[in-house]
Amino acid sequence: MATLVQVENLRKEFGNVRALDGVSFRVDAGEWIAIMGPSGSGKTTLINILGGLDTPTAGQAIVDGTDVARLDEAGLTRFRAEKIGFIFQQFHLVPYLTAVENVMLAQYFHSTTDEKEAQQALERVGLGDRIEHLPSQLSGGEQQRVAVARALINHPKLILADEPTGNLDEANEEIVLSLLRELHAEGHTILMVTHAPPIGRLADRRIEFAHGRLVRPAAALKPELA
Amino acid sequence: MFARLLGESFARNPRRKVLTAAALVIGMAVATATLTIALEVGDRLAREFRSLGANLLVTPESDTLPVEIGGVDYRPVDEGAYLNEADLGKLKTIFWRHNILGFTPFLDVPVYISETGGATTLIGTWYEHEVPVPDGTEFATGASVTHPWWKVQGRWFRDRADECVVGVSLAEKYPAVFALGNTIHAGQNEAAGSGRSLLVTGIVSTSDADDNAVLAPLAVAQAISGHPGKFRQLSVSALTKPADALAERGERAQTDKNIQLTPTEYDRWFCSPYISSIAFQIRTVLPGTDVHAIRRVAETEGRILTRVGTLLWIVTLAALGAAALAVAATSATTVLERRAEIGVMKALGATNALVGGIFLAEQVLLAIAGGAVGFFVGAGLARFLGESVFGTPAAPRLILFPVVLALAAIIAMIGSLVPLRRAAHFRPAVILRGE
Repeated sequence: MATLVQVENLRKEFGNVRALDGVSFRVDAGEWIAIMGPSGSGKTTLINILGGLDTPTAGQAIVDGTDVARLDEAGLTRFRAEKIGFIFQQFHLVPYLTAVENVMLAQYFHSTTDEKEAQQALERVGLGDRIEHLPSQLSGGEQQRVAVARALINHPKLILADEPTGNLDEANEEIVLSLLRELHAEGHTILMVTHAPPIGRLADRRIEFAHGRLVRPAAALKPELA
Repeated sequence: MFARLLGESFARNPRRKVLTAAALVIGMAVATATLTIALEVGDRLAREFRSLGANLLVTPESDTLPVEIGGVDYRPVDEGAYLNEADLGKLKTIFWRHNILGFTPFLDVPVYISETGGATTLIGTWYEHEVPVPDGTEFATGASVTHPWWKVQGRWFRDRADECVVGVSLAEKYPAVFALGNTIHAGQNEAAGSGRSLLVTGIVSTSDADDNAVLAPLAVAQAISGHPGKFRQLSVSALTKPADALAERGERAQTDKNIQLTPTEYDRWFCSPYISSIAFQIRTVLPGTDVHAIRRVAETEGRILTRVGTLLWIVTLAALGAAALAVAATSATTVLERRAEIGVMKALGATNALVGGIFLAEQVLLAIAGGAVGFFVGAGLARFLGESVFGTPAAPRLILFPVVLALAAIIAMIGSLVPLRRAAHFRPAVILRGE
């Protein structure tokens, strides 16, 4: 398998606080990685840097051959639109747009909109009958499924999911996790932040953080399975 | 999708939109009113100023100095130079002919009044006279236009009739002689039959030295002096614009050979209604004349016009500035309120230009709507102000409509600049964390 993500000696500081401290690891294309650790350990910071939402203080974060650390703001914007699919814990849907429009929004920022394709993406996550609903008319699980459809619509190289089931009940959690399993089976590369060990065990590998560092050297992790 | 985002954005928070639009309507209404009046104020004030009298004086170039004693010009009538009455129609052929509101010729003749047994000045002039213009039309002019403050008790003399009006001071000195309806005899000397018998039709108050004179039709003065078709001095009332650096250079270039205007400068000077360029054009059609601006009047007019113009521009800028501040305030609130939405859009790959474009387009749409309403409100305001200040309503200037819309759009963009810069610096990671 080709390496899709390569992180070398990555450091991120917020003032005097060191959120990431010399982190290094690799992720192959098609892998599902669970990023785990206590709150404040640097998991979300890592996801943000890999997704081009934030820039590192030092080190390299190479995604699909692009060193995110070297991109300017315009480059980061393009990188996010073309290579990354985000799934957030809070869903972050635009409240005044319908489900299908929320999916089309990602298409619009990427290139051009295709309503039919957006509808198909929603049908795939089981929301074919809810495409014209506003987020406020959808349950939490349904909103997260819209977010999954939105993350997939531009065929991103990397799906970054930050606590994707953190705000869901058990039934909806299962629906979203089964969607992630499907995506993984189709060959998508997924980096998922989670606190829950049972969810972490669904991934191919786990990367554990504590105080901004990897608990174990990256090389030793592979091929660790739960 | 842009239209969808814009439409949704536009429809949200209507109360704030109404407030922004109201600020723009007020700003644009004031701007429209002041711009409309600014475009007319020069012309209107200049016309008002014309009630102050003529602002140009035309005399023969080679005239001799007047010899005045007690207001009577004792020069022999054969001395000095004269101008041709027949040339006066040419004044309405110059480039700025429409700015020539009126002109009045004067011919002062020292006369002997038999009934008083003394000398006085008889001023030949027009009160209301039709001047033939070379294009075949006629132009009504005379002292009624150039000297509107002259008041007569009784009535003015008829043009070309053997009638006269008498200055109030002279009439008070000889009340029995210059009573209305009396006939007086005015001649160049005491010899009977050398002059004309004139019917006194009125007592005139001019508030100057002419109150000691007898005013009669120009034709009468010409007949008494033996200079038919001639006059000595011409008062011209012309609409002018305040002098500026170019006007002064243009005027000095007429007499100072070291000052030369470029062809472009000359065209601009010639085609502007400066008092100096109008004087130049009068000299061109009346060769052999000196044309002087009556400085006291011209400079006062210029100062007032400049000050009024400046005041109007200040008011316009203040209104536009206030509108920009109102737009900035509501725009800043909107951007802050929709921070989360902006963060999500940027996280999904929206460029700063696109996010800014949505907000800017919303403000510009609002500005165009506010500008359009403001224009019509402003046109009404200008009409009211024009009527209150100048007595006639200011006509709406449709040419200002696109100008006001463009101004409103620019104001909206300027007002949105700071909030949009702030939005551009929003970091999606920070916003998505909920900070």
